[in-house]
Amino acid sequence: MSHILSILIFFPLVAGLLGFLINQKSIRVYGIAVATIEFLLSLWLWFGFDGSNPGMQFQEFIPLIPSFGINYYLGVDGISLFIIVMTTLMTLLGIVGLSVKKDLKNMIITLLFLEVAMVGVFVALDVILFYIFWEFSLVPMLYIIGAWGGDKRLYAAIKFFIYTFAGSLVMLVGILFMGYLYYKTTGHWSFALTDWYKMVLPLDLQKWLFIAFFLGFAIKVPMFPFHTWLPYAHGQAPTVGSVILAAVLLKMGTYGFVRFSLPLFPDAAVAYITPIAIIALIMIIYTAMVAYAQKDMKQVIAYSSISHMGVIILGTFAMNVEGIGGSIFLMLSHGIVSGALFMLVGVIYDRRHTKLMSEFGGLASVMPTYATIFGIMTMASVGLPLTIGFIGEYLSLAGFFKVSPILTVIGGTSIIVGAVYMLSVLKKSFFGPITKEENKHLSDLDLKEKFALIPLVAIVIWLGIYPKPILEPINTSTKALVAFMHKKAQTKEAKATIHVSKALKEIKK
Amino acid sequence: MQSYLYIALFAPLVSSLFAAIFAQQKKIQLVGIITSILIALSFFASVELLVYLMQTNKIVHATLFDWIVIGDMNVKFGFTVDHVTAVMMVVVTLVSALVHIYSNYYMEHDKSFNRFFSYLSAFVFSMLVLVMSDSFLGLFIGWEGVGVCSWLLIGFWYYKKDETRDVNPSISPSWAANEAFIMNRIADLGLLIGIFLIFWNVGSLKYNDFFAAIPNLNHGLLVAIGIALFIGAMGKSAQFPLHTWLADAMEGPTPVSALIHAATMVTAGVYLVIRANPLYSQIPGVGYFIAVLGTFVAIFAASMALVNRDLKRVIAYSTLSQLGYMFAAAGLGAYWVALFHLAAHAFFKALLFLSAGNVMHAMHDELDMFKMGGLKKYMAKTYLMMGIASLALSGIYPFAGFFSKDTILEVAFNEETYGIWFVLWFTAGLTAFYSFRQVFLVFHGDERFHELGIHPHEAKPYALWAMAPLAVLAVIAGFFKEEFVEFITKFLPPYEMSEHTEHLVWFFIIVTMGIALTGIFIAYKKYANGLRRDPKVENSFLYKLLFNQYYIPIFYEKAFAKPYKELSDIAWKEIDQEIVDATVDGIAKAVEVTGDVSRRAQNGNLSTYLKWMAFGLIFISLIALISVVVK
Amino acid sequence: MSVGLSEYLILAVILFVIGLTGVIRRKNLLMLFFATEIMLNAANVALAALSSYMGDLTGQMFALFIIAIAASEVAVGLGLLILVYKKYGTLDLDDLNLLKG
Repeated sequence: MSHILSILIFFPLVAGLLGFLINQKSIRVYGIAVATIEFLLSLWLWFGFDGSNPGMQFQEFIPLIPSFGINYYLGVDGISLFIIVMTTLMTLLGIVGLSVKKDLKNMIITLLFLEVAMVGVFVALDVILFYIFWEFSLVPMLYIIGAWGGDKRLYAAIKFFIYTFAGSLVMLVGILFMGYLYYKTTGHWSFALTDWYKMVLPLDLQKWLFIAFFLGFAIKVPMFPFHTWLPYAHGQAPTVGSVILAAVLLKMGTYGFVRFSLPLFPDAAVAYITPIAIIALIMIIYTAMVAYAQKDMKQVIAYSSISHMGVIILGTFAMNVEGIGGSIFLMLSHGIVSGALFMLVGVIYDRRHTKLMSEFGGLASVMPTYATIFGIMTMASVGLPLTIGFIGEYLSLAGFFKVSPILTVIGGTSIIVGAVYMLSVLKKSFFGPITKEENKHLSDLDLKEKFALIPLVAIVIWLGIYPKPILEPINTSTKALVAFMHKKAQTKEAKATIHVSKALKEIKK
Repeated sequence: MQSYLYIALFAPLVSSLFAAIFAQQKKIQLVGIITSILIALSFFASVELLVYLMQTNKIVHATLFDWIVIGDMNVKFGFTVDHVTAVMMVVVTLVSALVHIYSNYYMEHDKSFNRFFSYLSAFVFSMLVLVMSDSFLGLFIGWEGVGVCSWLLIGFWYYKKDETRDVNPSISPSWAANEAFIMNRIADLGLLIGIFLIFWNVGSLKYNDFFAAIPNLNHGLLVAIGIALFIGAMGKSAQFPLHTWLADAMEGPTPVSALIHAATMVTAGVYLVIRANPLYSQIPGVGYFIAVLGTFVAIFAASMALVNRDLKRVIAYSTLSQLGYMFAAAGLGAYWVALFHLAAHAFFKALLFLSAGNVMHAMHDELDMFKMGGLKKYMAKTYLMMGIASLALSGIYPFAGFFSKDTILEVAFNEETYGIWFVLWFTAGLTAFYSFRQVFLVFHGDERFHELGIHPHEAKPYALWAMAPLAVLAVIAGFFKEEFVEFITKFLPPYEMSEHTEHLVWFFIIVTMGIALTGIFIAYKKYANGLRRDPKVENSFLYKLLFNQYYIPIFYEKAFAKPYKELSDIAWKEIDQEIVDATVDGIAKAVEVTGDVSRRAQNGNLSTYLKWMAFGLIFISLIALISVVVK
Repeated sequence: MSVGLSEYLILAVILFVIGLTGVIRRKNLLMLFFATEIMLNAANVALAALSSYMGDLTGQMFALFIIAIAASEVAVGLGLLILVYKKYGTLDLDDLNLLKG
């Protein structure tokens, strides 16, 4: 149990390398087996996780370059735990639902390598290690889009790569500068996040560093106006690429905000709440409108992701437990729901080789199971209570309401504009008479697709009704995070904005 | 008693899930029967709870498990059955059970028979969650749940295609469903904001905690909460300006209209105001606004019903109008009166809709009343039912509507809001007129349906039996007013009429009955002896205005839907692609162009390179020289 | 008139400028070689003069090194020139631009 995190990282790596030896025929079974084991390992991690402990658990520490304080340092807490579980789950379901025919072997091995990078990002506590995984995750995705994508795949892949890479480089400068500052103040080098947390920086330095990290994360999220790579990447990527991209890769950005920006620079974060909230509102409303204007079903989901990420950002910068916890929950729920929606688009794309909604219409009559699952995911996406989508959205908005009621009212329109574009997808594609001859004899979901989708439906409803197993560890860790930020904050403004929940205050008394 | 609570609540859920198993299969009669039985079970459990409450006056609580627990937010699935809830439960489950039974008849030839029952039972479950929850967030679950079920059921015949507004004012079922959902969502945002306000100022979302905290909250905040909650109520109860969806919702199957869009869901807004009565009694200003808006909607909707030819739309407008009455009463502080009218209205309006369903079946889904007429010969029993319902709706003694509506008028007079009283009084006349216009157009006069080659037939007996309890209640419900008052005022604040009003009771009865009877008489004169259409009237501006619903749907489309679509296109094509993405690509282009330009320097000619080198050498030497000199 | 350090250095500068002009102006690769040799020798003159002036032998040693290296460079360079001429039939720089970007 003590090396579970290393196992989680290196098992898919080793399995991926061994995968080169497996022959083409059995590679799918092999891939599913490996991903299942990895998923079970992550469940085991969850099982062994102590939900009442707010700190880092399962820590591992191996010095790599001690003279520069760069170490192999891993750990997991309530914030990252479920993102890891979701990562392994979505990878598994992505492989199960895989429909590519070309170079299946390479695809599965690439996905396993991608899993290594994604898990690595969420467990790394050493910033250099984090950065290595962060950048490494680009490579398999570049390959997935570039090799299995649509007609403009090279453009999309290169845009994705260079854009996010450029942002990360600014972040790297921030990381190195931060490390240098640590060296200057303490006299020795360290890139361990837990050491960095202890550093209290003056506000102006915080602001510069915040911006450096912000650029890296904002492009990954992606925040307006850095979002334009996303529609291309989604539009060109194969289904599994979109699923992983939306479910996990985008969350790396918001995870970064929670893990780095907030605790490292609490004063700067508070100082920048208003501009960031305005960007988030633009993301929510503007991208929802853009989503409504789309003709391609997949692009609607792609833009809807940006809109939902806006709500996540709003929750993250609420500076209270409700908001931050809600945004973490929304990361999970958005991962599951948007992943499922991309899979669903993939289902119809496999049958009709088009994603244009004008080509569909009346699909509910010929593919009832498909339409039902799509409907459930739509409802989860628009945040219906008792589905997974509601809790995160509600908590994020409720949290931000404490900061600014007016901005929350504007941000709350997400529940309206979200319904507008999602229902218009349903109406255009699923309702009405069947107008196209090709659509009259489409087959409903096959076994493989059901295996990939039904677990997601179950999760969407289960966690919508009983989110406690997930909310509790999130609650513990977030409470500690907020209390820590409150203690660390120097400016009056930050002290006033960061809202420690009452329960914790009472415990302290 | 908790087990009864759970039975009442979860029987519909079980019913829905059971029907859902067979949702994609061909019609299974057993599904209809079992779901009906389960809903009836829920009804009996509700009655049991009501009786228990009557006898012991003890409120039943039940808490299931934690839902959202994070930070200071602590929301459990908690249910409570108090007096208001018990009344609502009995009304909801009774109408639901009868509508379920009736639907066995109405949907008998529909290929998605099983799916229909799944949705319908899911609706009952959501509605029960709405009325039984003990917190605002629990209410919100039901609130959204009924919204989704309403969406599913309005769009039940999703495969119909979009028509123009001239052919079908609702365009198509799926269009109407989306309209209803989105309009409700606009209002839901208001409710959500109200919930946030309560949470951050009270720290709990439970009704009791909030009501207990009201004395400590400042007035401005209470007004804000009151307005936010009422915005939510406006959407669900289709109050102006969010009213257009209700008439379009008539695209759904008629039992749905009877259950959701007449008896239960649309009254959720009224329920919310009644439920939050400790709040609204502190902010009479908002209450007065609610009353005025309700009054306006009452006459506004009634006016549209005057000229409409669509059987179901007339009833929909009348529902709207009656909701206005309820809000008027609730807004003026007479909460139990509003609840009483809500219950009475549920019975006779559901009856009216189900009768309309019989007519529609007989008429092969033709809805234009101008193409009907003389049906009383063929469908005497339906005629009787619809007559009873219309009498009750018009407020004729001794039918249920008389007692509830008359009390509302008395309240309006008692509060010295004579304007409201007058408008409501006048609307009572309009109500009587359009109700009987409908009855006479459908059942009296010449038989105009022969042109369509229709042979009308009476509904099946069991469908009529399912309607019978409603008919009975529409007749007798009013006589239980005293018992109702005694029961409900243990929980809701009592409403005492002043002595002055008490003296005038007989005067009110006569005046109100007078205008109602006048309305019926005019309708009789005009329509009972066959349809005489007057092109001059039909071409008049007023008629057209009313017929086109004051052009509000067209206005909404032109002012909101279309600009939103256009703005979205601009946002995508002009802003996102032409500005944002073009900037990004522009930066990449700039790098490429720079490279392209500087590429020319590398021309492969050694001589040129050497020249550059020499130039560089001289340049560096110069700099070195200058720096030495300057130092 | 005695020949002092400055005269040597002026000579070195003149030689260097002559070489540099040759490098810039000449188009024939062979001539370029000669021009480079002149420049190297300019440096040699300067080194030797300064060495004698400072009383430090290092400069003269360097000059000898440069002469040796220049000789070997010429040997290799001329060999390459012959090959270039054999392959392309010209030593004109304007015609030798294979590295054009």
